[in-house]
Amino acid sequence: MKMASTSRLDALPRVTCPNHPDAILVEDYRAGDMICPECGLLVGDRVIDVGSEWRIFSNDKATKDPSRVGDSQNPLLSDGDLSTMIGKGTGAASFDEFGNSKYQNRRTMSSSDRAMMNAFKEITTMAGRINLPRNTVDRTNNLFKQVYEQKSLKGRANDATASACLYIACIQEGVPRTFKEICAVSRISKKEIGRCFKLILKALETSVDLITTGDFMSRFCSNLCLPKQVQMAATHTAHKAVQLDLVPRRNPVSVAAATIYLASQASADKRTQKEIGDIAGVADVTIRQSYKLIYPRAPHLFPTDFIFDTPVDKLPQL
Amino acid sequence: MEEEETYLELYLDRCAAQDALVPPRSPVLSPAVPYDVYIPNLSNPETTFNSQLEEVTETSGNFSSVDLSFLPDELTQESKDQTVIRSKHEIEENCKTQSRQSRLPLPSQQDIGLALNSSSGSNSHSHLHTGDADSAQPSPEKPYSLPLASITPMTPMTPVSECSGIVPQLQNIVSTVNLACKLDLKKIALHAKNAEYNPKRFAAVIMRIREPRTTALIFSSGKMVCTGAKSEEQSRLAARKYARVVQKLGFPARFLDFKIQNMVGSCDVRFPIRLEGLVLTHQQFSSYEPELFPGLIYRMVKPRIVLLIFVSGKVVLTGAKERSDIYEAFENIYPILKGFKKT
Repeated sequence: MKMASTSRLDALPRVTCPNHPDAILVEDYRAGDMICPECGLLVGDRVIDVGSEWRIFSNDKATKDPSRVGDSQNPLLSDGDLSTMIGKGTGAASFDEFGNSKYQNRRTMSSSDRAMMNAFKEITTMAGRINLPRNTVDRTNNLFKQVYEQKSLKGRANDATASACLYIACIQEGVPRTFKEICAVSRISKKEIGRCFKLILKALETSVDLITTGDFMSRFCSNLCLPKQVQMAATHTAHKAVQLDLVPRRNPVSVAAATIYLASQASADKRTQKEIGDIAGVADVTIRQSYKLIYPRAPHLFPTDFIFDTPVDKLPQL
Repeated sequence: MEEEETYLELYLDRCAAQDALVPPRSPVLSPAVPYDVYIPNLSNPETTFNSQLEEVTETSGNFSSVDLSFLPDELTQESKDQTVIRSKHEIEENCKTQSRQSRLPLPSQQDIGLALNSSSGSNSHSHLHTGDADSAQPSPEKPYSLPLASITPMTPMTPVSECSGIVPQLQNIVSTVNLACKLDLKKIALHAKNAEYNPKRFAAVIMRIREPRTTALIFSSGKMVCTGAKSEEQSRLAARKYARVVQKLGFPARFLDFKIQNMVGSCDVRFPIRLEGLVLTHQQFSSYEPELFPGLIYRMVKPRIVLLIFVSGKVVLTGAKERSDIYEAFENIYPILKGFKKT
C-alpha cells in the first residue's frame, strides 16, 4: 500500500476520519480508497492516482511517448510545476498563413525558476559524470534552492554556485570530493568554486568538517585497483603520520597520495607517482615532498600485520 | 618622526592607564611609568637631572653619544629610559643598555621590559635591536638593581599571562588623498621620472619614489592612492612628495582628505599552532580550507580585523584603519593561540 507523499497534500484541506481525527489514513491505491486504520471507515474514495500513466523503457524510442500527464512533479524544489503547455498542432487549423504554428507559448513554462531548473539540470549532469548517488544530488538541489532564494550569491555564475553546492553536499554526505575532482566535471575554475564555497557557507551560516586523509582512501585505491590490504595500510599510515605530526602543513590530499605511494611500493602492486598523481589530482612533485617527510619514519607508520613484498629498507628514496 | 613617538606614547599610556599605576610625577617622566617609584628618593638629583635632560634635548642635533656617567647610577638608568622615548637616535643607542636594564632579577619584570623594548624598537626603522634584546641576555649589570623593584607598583602593567610581549610590525599602509584638481595623465607620465601609464591596461599613472619606498596610483580626477609605506607618517610624507611632484609639473595640486585606508601587520608567536583545533572551537569566525589556502582566516569582530594564522606560528593582521586596532587584535588572539600550541 502506498502512502501519498507529495507535500501538496498539506495545502489541501485534510481529510480525516470523523471518529478518529488524529489517525493517519492509509491509502489503498489499487482501489483508490483512504481507510482509517482505527475503525476501518472508508474516508476518501476515488482518490486520484498520482503515479505515472505509462511505464517508459529506455529502448522504447520508436514509439512516441504516450504519457499525457507530463513529467513527475517536483514540488520540493520548483515552485510547483502547475502550468499549462499547448502541444504542437497536427491539423491544418493550427497553422497560420505563414506556416508558423499558432499558440506558440509552449516555451514559457515556469519562467521565474528557469535559471533554477537549468542549474538542477547542470547539477545532475555533473553528478552523473562522477557517479554520485541520487541522495547527494537531492541534497545539492536543496542547498542550491536555499542559496538561490537568499539571493546573496546572485552575482555569481549559477554554474559556479551549483558546483560549490555539489562540493558541500559531498562533504555533508560524508564522502568529500576534492576541489580538483569537482573542477574536473565543471566548467568553473577552482578559484571561483572556492570563492563561491566560502560565500555559501557565510550565506547559509553553516560550516563543514575539515577533510581528513581517510576520506579519500577508498576512492583513490579502488581507482588504482589496489587490493584491500594496501588500502588499509595506506589509511593506517596516513592516520599515524598525522598523529605524529610529520606533515604539519601539507594538504590532506597530498598526504593521502604519498601514503598510497608508500603502501603500494611496499606491496606487490606498485604504482608510480605519476599514476597516483593523476588519480588524486596532485602533482608528482607534491607527492615527492610529502613522501620525503614520511619516509624516515616509515617502519613506525605501517600496521603491524602488513605483509611486506618489498621490505621497508628497500623502499625507494626520493 | 614625532608622530611615531606620539603613537608609542599613546600606546604606552593606554597600557599604563589600564593598570592605574602611580601617576607620573612630572610630564617629563610620564612615559617611563614603571620607574616612577624612584622619584621620591632622588629629589635633588632629579632637578639637576631634569635640567641636564633639557640641555640634552635642546641640542637635538648631535645625539651620537650621550654621556651621562656623571649622574648617580639610579638616575643613569632612568635617564636612559627617558632618552629612549625622546628621540629615535637614542632609541637605537640605548636600546642595548635598556635591554640589559630591563632584564631585572625579578622574572615578572622581563615581560614589561621586553614590551617596552620591543614597542620602542618597533617604532624605529631598524629592527635589529628587537632581535638583539631577544637573543642576548647578559646578566643584569647593576647588582644594586633597584631594591625598590620589589615594591608592588613594579608588578607588570598587565598580568604576565596576558601580556604577550610581542608587538606586530607594520608591513604596509594604504592611504588615499585628494589633490583636488583634474590631471592630465599623459603629461605627468611624459615629464615625471619613474612613472608608467598604460591607459589600455589601467586608467592611472603608476609612480614610484625611492624614499620612502612607495608606489602611488594617480587618477585623472585628482585622487591618489599611496601604498607600500611602513608607517603612517611615512605614508603621509610619501603622499606629500607625490603631491609636490604633481605640483612641480604645473598642476594646482592640494593635499585634501589624507586618510589611511588599510594597515597590514605581521608577527610571530614563536610556537606551532594546531589550526584544526582552532577551527573547531571558533567555527563562526574562522575558515580553514587546506585545499584553498594553507592558513586559517580568522575574522575578528571587534576590532574588525582579518587575521591569517599559519601552522608555523606566523600571523598576518590586515584590515585595520588604526595602528591600535592591530595591536588590540593581536592581544585578543594571543591567548587563544597559546591555547592551541602544538605539543
